[in-house]
Amino acid sequence: MVNVNANALGIIFPNSYDNLVPELVQKRTMASVPFASRYRMIDFTLSAMVNAGIDNVTVVTRENYYSLMDHLGSGREWDLARKRGGLTIIPPYAQARNKLYHGRVEALSGIVGMLEKQKEKYVIISDCNVACSFDYAAFIDAHVASGADVSMVYERTVIPEAAKADNYTLTVDEDGRVTEILTNDYRNGVQNLSMNIYIMERETLVTMVKDAMVRNLVYFERDILARNLQLLHVQGYEYEGYRARISDLKSYFDENMRLLDPANLAQLFVEKRPVYTKIRDDAPTCYMAGSSVKNSLVADGCVLEGEVENCVLFRGVKIAAGAKVKNCVLMQDTVVEAGAELDHVVTDKNVTITEGKKLTSDSFPVYVGKGHKV
Amino acid sequence: MKECIAMLLAGGQGSRLYALTQRLAKPAVPFGGKYRIIDFPLSNCVNSGIDTVGILTQYQPLVLNEYIGNGQPWDLDRLYGGVHVLPPYQTATGSDWYKGTANAIYQNINFIERYEPEYVVILSGDHIYKMDYSKMLEFHKAHNADCTIAVMEVPWEEASRFGIMTADEEGTITRFQEKPKNPESNLASMGIYIFTWTKLRKYLAEDEADPASDNDFGKNIIPNMLAANEHMVAYPFEGYWKDVGTIDSLWEANMDLLDPNVALNVGDDDWRIYSRNSGMPGHYIGTDADVQNSMITEGCQVHGKVEKSVLFAGVKVGAGAVVEESIVMPGAVIEEGAHVSYAIVAENVVVKKDAVVGCTKEQAEEPDKWGIAVIGEGVTIGVGAKVGPKAMVVKNVEDGDNQW
Repeated sequence: MVNVNANALGIIFPNSYDNLVPELVQKRTMASVPFASRYRMIDFTLSAMVNAGIDNVTVVTRENYYSLMDHLGSGREWDLARKRGGLTIIPPYAQARNKLYHGRVEALSGIVGMLEKQKEKYVIISDCNVACSFDYAAFIDAHVASGADVSMVYERTVIPEAAKADNYTLTVDEDGRVTEILTNDYRNGVQNLSMNIYIMERETLVTMVKDAMVRNLVYFERDILARNLQLLHVQGYEYEGYRARISDLKSYFDENMRLLDPANLAQLFVEKRPVYTKIRDDAPTCYMAGSSVKNSLVADGCVLEGEVENCVLFRGVKIAAGAKVKNCVLMQDTVVEAGAELDHVVTDKNVTITEGKKLTSDSFPVYVGKGHKV
Repeated sequence: MKECIAMLLAGGQGSRLYALTQRLAKPAVPFGGKYRIIDFPLSNCVNSGIDTVGILTQYQPLVLNEYIGNGQPWDLDRLYGGVHVLPPYQTATGSDWYKGTANAIYQNINFIERYEPEYVVILSGDHIYKMDYSKMLEFHKAHNADCTIAVMEVPWEEASRFGIMTADEEGTITRFQEKPKNPESNLASMGIYIFTWTKLRKYLAEDEADPASDNDFGKNIIPNMLAANEHMVAYPFEGYWKDVGTIDSLWEANMDLLDPNVALNVGDDDWRIYSRNSGMPGHYIGTDADVQNSMITEGCQVHGKVEKSVLFAGVKVGAGAVVEESIVMPGAVIEEGAHVSYAIVAENVVVKKDAVVGCTKEQAEEPDKWGIAVIGEGVTIGVGAKVGPKAMVVKNVEDGDNQW
């Protein structure tokens, strides 16, 4: 092959797990939740696919998808503005025959005709609730080598409390074959938690979806995989690298904070596998005389005059002189006026904290919704 | 057709920037944390509504070509128009390097005529400023001029460094003097011209036919038009403008970004300066870092002290290192304990542990010879090595060595 293009197309579900972070997704999808100072959650999935040579990606939206459309545009920033393949965004639609989808199978049934016409041999399916520098190329190779019908990615981890009502765990034998898939596993201790990344042959997926629709099945994992583990060879693929899993507001906050360790930052942003995002053309960040910034991750376009410690600042944040901001995640264009004090606060986009206001907590983060003035 | 297109002269070697322009043309020299010099005229064009720009390159064009690419970062990837890089080329009758600024435009008359413009803006690729060319064009039209030259008042004592215009009350230029010893005006040409295209084409052809000509706008075209009594007007510009053709002026212009009293604001939403993005994550400021009065951009990691400095994408400053009054270009690494002071450190330079680059004027042994130290692209300054003020370093300096 001349290029390193993968013989696989990608399908991304941006709305899966919206229910876990109701605050953050009031006006967006899980995929468009801002993360790590200048990214959205989908940037990690999309960039990892592109870096593996996947250049045909379909995003199947469900609701609240305006911010996502705005973010993705033509897909150019991910090198996905192509004549052939590239980025396709499927808006939600409801007709007499099609209702707003619930499970993956219903969503896929809407695009099954499109899937039939593609040329790639394999399909990779992913959600957007986990940010990691995933090597899809290695995953494809492992799948092909295993000879399995379906491969799925899991990690060994304790199931986050908030995810206990919404997860899949698996049991694998010594060869890595999946022998059992549990839905909404509530056990304590380390389990094989699914990361909801799958690969299979495109034609296999088309057949599965058509078959499932006839029998009125909705959920891919529960209704198709879990029931057919004898019939289907489902292979587990363990991911051991760094990952940020968003399962509620607290974990959103914690995962941002974890990036203040340069070792973690280096694992999420691997030089060979850059993470692409929408460009805003902000100026570099200005540190004014008298400012004090410690242990913080800061995007461009900020103007910092006050005190900042242990914070993740997104693009265009302004912190006035005399303001004190500690242990905070401040999203795009948050303004903290003079004398305000923040501790353990997550502000959404375009929030203004007015002069002298104190907003503090000692552990659980306070959340200020998009565009609010406090 | 297009009413007005821009031609940007970007062929200059920038020999006075020596160590910084060994492998790239002056307009491609990094500036202001995340820009290159050419981003300013290019962004001005786009913000002024000019969507067709020819960039004339000649010296070391590789970096510049790659940087401009299809023009997408400036929104100049257009179906009709957009940005085009125009190097010298061969024809059936021979080939020529660009002999001068006027010849560069002359050789691209075909390019210009494809757009059938009424007006052509001629720009330089080595000035830092923000300017609305559409206002200047209105001025040109209102005065029914053949040529409009942007001018600004400079201090009288500096006037002899510039091309000086003498204009009457209506702005009509009556005299032009290139670097006069005894200036009779303090209106300096900013190297920004708008020509009515039919006129310029005529003078370009005449200039080309004159074998004695230097084929230069300032030396030939402008004096010739003036001598022929063409209607030439001076367009007064107020605001920040700086020629960054020397080490000192390049350093000063970067420092101006840090001065809240200087009218150069790159953070203005209404007049954005666009650039090609590094694609790096946000920058990290460590627990023991101390950053004061500085500009820092994506991909940087700062663990030491940074004061009055501009750090470009991906710069690393180790623990205990000090960077003050300096410009550190993309990918450079300042290791632990190193001290960089009054310096320009080019791309991908490594200043190893405890090395010293430059010093303050007070610390200099010979204050008269003090100046900005410059480390050229990709150079390594060895452990504990010392690079004196005003040094120009283009080769690696071994551990413990001194270079002055």
